[in-house]
Amino acid sequence: MAAPSVPAELAWSSAHAEDLVAEVQALYERLRPRFPEMDPGDLKLILECMLRPWGTGRGFFLRQIRPGVYVP
Amino acid sequence: MSPDEEFLTTLLKALNASGVEAIIVGNAGAALQGAPVTTQDVDLLVRDTPLNREKLETLSRALGAARPAAISELTTAVRITGAAFPIDILFDSMSGGLQSLDDIIRSKEAAGRPKDTAVLPILRDTLRVQQALDQSGGETPT
Repeated sequence: MAAPSVPAELAWSSAHAEDLVAEVQALYERLRPRFPEMDPGDLKLILECMLRPWGTGRGFFLRQIRPGVYVP
Repeated sequence: MSPDEEFLTTLLKALNASGVEAIIVGNAGAALQGAPVTTQDVDLLVRDTPLNREKLETLSRALGAARPAAISELTTAVRITGAAFPIDILFDSMSGGLQSLDDIIRSKEAAGRPKDTAVLPILRDTLRVQQALDQSGGETPT
């Protein structure tokens, strides 16, 4: 199959986000019994970060806007 | 693509182009492997050779940044300043690409600073999920 010609940030849409949510939920339901002590929100967050395609808008750098104040 | 993804993509391309032997360590490395963490900089572990030190200057120029400069008198690490985010360079004998999550966890355990220990629980959880997904057929992203 040829590589997609549309850049990821343009191709990413609500439909893709819905697919991601469904995929996260399916894996969450499968993994949750294995990690009963893990915070459920953390588990979903980890799965979302792992499954979200590169180039679709994830941010992970903190910027200091003034001393003691940081924003993502 | 977010500015953060764009910066890391640019950095990875510049690393490849410069040929410097380096691996991404720390929270930026963890984020690249799916850990939901944030950071203020990128840490690189660079094999300490004269050639790599020269290549770091090439890397700095490619990123439109200043030459690597000492961070303080307390460390041999240097910092590249002037790119979108600071890049801290640690020198050692390792090379290879991206530090594994369990190595990142071990290094943060060894460092033991409050900012390192604060992030350990979510990194450990991420590693467990990563291992579970690997065991169950590799649903982790490539």
